[in-house]
Amino acid sequence: MNRQPLIALPKGRLFDQTLGLLARAGVTTAKRLNESRKLTFQDDEGQYEFVALKPVDIPVYVESGAVDAGIVGTDILREVESDVYEPLDLQIGKCRLVVAGPNGVDLDFARHVRVATKYPHTAERFFRSKNAHVHIVRLDGSVEIAPLLGLADAIIDLVETGRTLQENNMRIFEEVAPVTAKLIVNRTAMKLKSASIGGLISQLDAVIYANS
Amino acid sequence: MKSGSTIGLPAGFRDLLFGDAQSRRRIEDSLARLFGEHGYGEIAPSAVEYHELYRRGNQSVEDRAVKFLDRDDNLLALRADFTPAIARIAASRLLQIPRPIRVWYAGSVFRKVDPKRGRYCEFRQVGAELLGLDSVEQDVEIIDLALSSLDALGVRDAKLHINHAGIFRSLVNDLRLDRKSLRQVKAAIDRKDARGLAARLESLGVSADIHDQLEVLASCVGGEEVLQRASEAVTNTSARYAIAGLRKLANGLTRWRDLITFDLAEIDEMEYYTGIMFTLFHPRLTTELGGGGRYDALLREFGAELPAVGFSFSVDALADLV
Repeated sequence: MNRQPLIALPKGRLFDQTLGLLARAGVTTAKRLNESRKLTFQDDEGQYEFVALKPVDIPVYVESGAVDAGIVGTDILREVESDVYEPLDLQIGKCRLVVAGPNGVDLDFARHVRVATKYPHTAERFFRSKNAHVHIVRLDGSVEIAPLLGLADAIIDLVETGRTLQENNMRIFEEVAPVTAKLIVNRTAMKLKSASIGGLISQLDAVIYANS
Repeated sequence: MKSGSTIGLPAGFRDLLFGDAQSRRRIEDSLARLFGEHGYGEIAPSAVEYHELYRRGNQSVEDRAVKFLDRDDNLLALRADFTPAIARIAASRLLQIPRPIRVWYAGSVFRKVDPKRGRYCEFRQVGAELLGLDSVEQDVEIIDLALSSLDALGVRDAKLHINHAGIFRSLVNDLRLDRKSLRQVKAAIDRKDARGLAARLESLGVSADIHDQLEVLASCVGGEEVLQRASEAVTNTSARYAIAGLRKLANGLTRWRDLITFDLAEIDEMEYYTGIMFTLFHPRLTTELGGGGRYDALLREFGAELPAVGFSFSVDALADLV
C-alpha cells in the first residue's frame, strides 16, 4: 500500500457526475478512454488510481482497506454500515429515500404491512423508530413493481424526479432520508497517505463549496 | 448433520496449521521473552467473564460480546476485551503487591462481527499493562516497550499515532449537550466531517470560539509542532493540561521521534481511556498493528483506586509482517 491512493468510483447513476466533479477539482481522467480494458486507471497526472465498483460494494472495500477511499451515496452508506471516515459531502447525486405506495391506498399499520426494498436495514431502522411492525421483503431491482404484482403494500426506494412513481400510479407517503454522495476514506489509509488524501479532500472541498 | 459426512467451521473462525501456527507461536514466544526481560510477569485471564464486566468496563464491545447462560441463568460472555479483565483482576487480587505492577498476557478475544465483510470473530492479542502510577515515566515506559518489541521482532517502519483522551473530551464536555446531541457531535468528529460538524455546532448554538477550537484540533496531526499550535488555540484548563502532558511524553520519546505522529484529531475509541491513547500502523498493513492508552478510572468501576497504562499487539497483524 505504498502506491498512490486507490479510489473507488461508483458505477451507475453517480459515475459521470463523479468524473465531472473530479475534473472540476483538477483531477482529469482523459487517458481513461484508452485504458478502458484495464481494471484500474490513473488520472492524467498519475496522482491517483481509480477503480469502478458496484456502489453497494464500495463501503466494504473501503472499510477493509482493499481500496483507500471511495465515493458512494448515503443511501448505501447507511444501509451497509461501515467504520470509515466520511470527510466530505460531495453535493452530487442528491435525491430522497422515501416510503411510497399505490395511489388511493393508505398504509394501515394496525394491519400487517409488507414493504419491498433494496434497503432492508434502513427500512427496519426506520419503521422501528416509528414503532411500526412491518414485514420487509428484500429485492434487488425494479422495486416499484412489487406493489403492482401484490408482493408488497409499499416500497422504500430512491426518488429523483418522481416520474417512475407517477408512471406506476404511486405516490410518496413519507421521506425516510435525504440522499447525497459522500467521499469515504479508510481509517488506516487516512493516517498513512495523509498528504495525498488530505490534498484531494481540500481540492474537492474548494470547488464544491466555492460559493459558500 | 449426518454422521460420517465432513463438518465445517463456523464463519468468522479459522484453524491455523503448521507454518501459520508456528509463526503465531514464534511471535508470542519472542514477546513473552521480551516482556519477561523487562520485568513483566505473565497472567492468563479466564476466557469467560460475566457479561456485566463489559457493561461496566467497556460498553463499546458490550453488544458484540459472544454471550451465553450458565446453569443458574447468569449471563456470561467470552472475553471481548482484555483491559476490563485486567482491571477486574487487579482490583481484586493485585492490590497487595508493591507498585508499580507489571503484567503481560496472550490470548484470544471474541467479538460478533460480520464475517461476510472479511472480519474474524476470534483474534489473537498479546499485551502488557503497567499499573499503580499515573506519571509520564510510566507512559514512556509502555510506549518504549511497544516500540522496542517491534524492533526486536524485526518490524521496521511502524508508525505511532499519539493522542490524549482529555483534549476533545474536555472541550466537548464544556458544550453541556444532551446525550443525543453529544453523540451527533462526536460522530461528526469521528467521521472527520468538518462541514457536518460545523453545521451541527451551529444548529446547537455553540459559540464560534469553541467551534474554532474544535476546528483547530481537527487539523492537529503532525510532529511536536502541532502540540504548540493546539495549546495556543485551546482555552479549557484540563485540555491544556492534557496537551502539556503530551509535550512531556514527547521529551521522553525522542529516541523514537521519527516514528511518532501527534494526532489530536481523533476521538477516543475506547471510552475507558483517560490519558494518552496511541495506535500503531504499518505501511504494509490495512489494519492496525496494535494500540493502547491510559485508563486511570476503569479500576474504580471495580472498586479500586489504581491508575494504569497498557497496550496490545494484534498477533494476526504481526504475523503478516514477521
